[in-house]
Amino acid sequence: MVGANAFSPGAESTTTEGPHPPHEREPTGASRAAFVLTRARCFALMLLAIVGMLLFGAASPAGASTPPPDSAERFAGSVVNRTTDDDGNRESVPVEGVRIEAIGEDGTVVGEATTDAEGRYVLGLPGPGTYTLRLDVDSLPEGVAPEEGVPTERIVQVLPNQEKVGSFFLGADTRDVKSRLSLLPQTLANGVKLSFIVAICAIGLSLIYGTTGLSNFAHGDIVTLGAMVAWLVNIKGGWHILIAAPFGIAASALAGAAMERGLWRPLRGRRASLTSMMIVSIGISLGVRYIYQFYFGARSKPFREYAVQREVDLGPFSLTPRAMTIMAICLVALLATSYFLLRTRTGKAVRAVADNPALASATGINSDHIILIVWVLGGALAGLGGVLYGLEVRVQWSMGFTLLLLLFAAITVGGLGRPFGALVGAFVVGMFVELWTWVFPSVVELKTVGALLALIVVLLVRPQGILGKRERIG
Amino acid sequence: MNWSLIFANAIYASLSYSTAAFALVAIGLNLHAGHTGLLNFGQAGFAAVGAYAMAIPISNYDWPWWLALLLVIGGSCALAVIVGITTLRLRSDYLAIVTIATAEIIRLVLSSVRFTWLTGGTDGKKGFSGFIGDLNPWPEDRQYRVWAQTISGHHLFMLLAGWTLAIIFSILIFLLMRSPWGRVLRSIREDEDAARSLGKNVFMFKMQSLMLGGVIGGFGGVILAAGKRSAQPSEYGTTLTFFAFTIVILGGIAREKGPLIGAIIFWFLLQFVDNILEQATRRDKVPEWLVDSNNFGQVKFIVAGFALAALVVFRPQGLFGDKREQAFDAR
Repeated sequence: MVGANAFSPGAESTTTEGPHPPHEREPTGASRAAFVLTRARCFALMLLAIVGMLLFGAASPAGASTPPPDSAERFAGSVVNRTTDDDGNRESVPVEGVRIEAIGEDGTVVGEATTDAEGRYVLGLPGPGTYTLRLDVDSLPEGVAPEEGVPTERIVQVLPNQEKVGSFFLGADTRDVKSRLSLLPQTLANGVKLSFIVAICAIGLSLIYGTTGLSNFAHGDIVTLGAMVAWLVNIKGGWHILIAAPFGIAASALAGAAMERGLWRPLRGRRASLTSMMIVSIGISLGVRYIYQFYFGARSKPFREYAVQREVDLGPFSLTPRAMTIMAICLVALLATSYFLLRTRTGKAVRAVADNPALASATGINSDHIILIVWVLGGALAGLGGVLYGLEVRVQWSMGFTLLLLLFAAITVGGLGRPFGALVGAFVVGMFVELWTWVFPSVVELKTVGALLALIVVLLVRPQGILGKRERIG
Repeated sequence: MNWSLIFANAIYASLSYSTAAFALVAIGLNLHAGHTGLLNFGQAGFAAVGAYAMAIPISNYDWPWWLALLLVIGGSCALAVIVGITTLRLRSDYLAIVTIATAEIIRLVLSSVRFTWLTGGTDGKKGFSGFIGDLNPWPEDRQYRVWAQTISGHHLFMLLAGWTLAIIFSILIFLLMRSPWGRVLRSIREDEDAARSLGKNVFMFKMQSLMLGGVIGGFGGVILAAGKRSAQPSEYGTTLTFFAFTIVILGGIAREKGPLIGAIIFWFLLQFVDNILEQATRRDKVPEWLVDSNNFGQVKFIVAGFALAALVVFRPQGLFGDKREQAFDAR
């Protein structure tokens, strides 16, 4: 196989050409463009920061004009905190400064009010109808929390000219009030767990990118394949998960090998450009994902063993035995892979091809053979990651695809094409995702956004990634 | 099997307003990927920005519709600037990953619970399409018979509006690509360094292409949301982008009529497959273990995905494309 020609020429070549790589020979006319770009980068960072502050600093808007409190329909009531003092006496204390809002049927806030010193409020409504009366929990003062199990919002029907009573009775915060800081170790532990799973899936993706230049969008679906085959053997076949898991791993490894031999090698032989191969992988990913949904269904399904477990208290944080086992298995897999890459001859050949395919070929390394090994290894690791991820979050047809974005973020942050970069990137991404839930507890469902924003910031500041080399960026 | 009904349904689907919306998204994508060589995998994000930039001001803040359309243009341009500043000087792989990430961020934020006051969360936004009734010359609920199909006045209007916009934008791009600006874009696609060496500010040209294609994609989102009378974040996920890519490649990369014809053929085929399977499973013509009446709906996506892969491998220039014009090929 001819080295450099197998990859498309021009900007996409990963080989360094000659003593003066083009990007370092900035023509003087472009220095002004470079300066503009640096300013533009700062501008973009500022823009991102401002957008971020606006999005997350703002409380609910008072955009909808609030009807006056003397309108015909309204809510009125009080917010009372029932406390038990040291002598066991219960007393009711009004709570001031609590925000109450009324939400219309279409989801917009139609009015809001704040409780006064007696804990009372009056909230005018634009008319009769069905509203959601909600207490803004964020506006509660320290130490005051809703009673366990009592909802802080309710749906109320308001008739014409009716003043509906809407009072809220709060219990004292008798739970162990955890300060934000004390939640940090748990967040970090969760981050490590996620990082491990992302890491073993991302190493394969990074090696595939490094050796062939392909951004394999179907990698997430190889992850899903491992989980699904293991699930089939486990649930339909009745075997214990420890026996089913190797089936899943083998299936993913086989799928990787089959794709390489059946699809990518012929395409490389036809001098297909990397972009077209990437789009082929996207098409395959789309088709395969819906095949999964076709046969597996849309719901998530758990494995038979280890599905429900109690967390073990380990001091500052707690983990299920399953989570601890997953982390241990990942650690072993990562150590084994690192040993393979660093100490064995084949591993060194893999790193050589990932670094500089033409040069590796020139030293007599059979690139095709190495690439097949990379696909098998990457597939196996992805399958293992799929089984472990499925143990954590249940098996679903789209589980690999949701992970894929994190995988790409991880290998980009760590440095495209560097297997250990994938490790570093996976930890950065995993920690970012979990720390997001700690810093922004009100927007936990956006935690993937944290990882993606980290990716964008890294690309602005250090485009080659943490461990990447400058030649690779363009 | 009622073949005439299957065909009629498929033709109707291929000419409906949602096909026009997809055509618009594909026209924008064709400008990005086909003419300029920018691998914008976040076109769904632009469509989402367009749809919500129209829906939110009208339903939350009572803006007039024409002002909201101005915001659609502004929002799409702003998104293009944000995406472009980050990635336009990096390699195409980076642009692909960042654009996917951006589109996902947009979709996640739009469906998040926290911002439901603004965006309607996963349920989406409704109640903004009243202005269409004012603009529509036909009464909205009257059903009209067009050949074998009945179509409501609303859908008829959206259909015409959508295709008119698609044709106008196609003509615009046709004229632009035959102007000096278009020639620079083409040269950037072929060899960026050569264009730079001739003194062209490659970054600005790419940015302009990103903005224009983004605005067109935004209008695609507007038509989709207005036609459905709701804007839901699940409609603007990666599937939309990949379908748009399939349409662009099918019709022929860098051909102005490509996205139009491609969209029609794409949706015709998908609806065709869907209808055949629906009838076949209902009349038990297909064995139960293969396809049943619950999951036949996924088959069209399976077909679409593998069709994309097969297209790129076997006929990357699509129906009308020129092999020499491609930004990528599997020669």
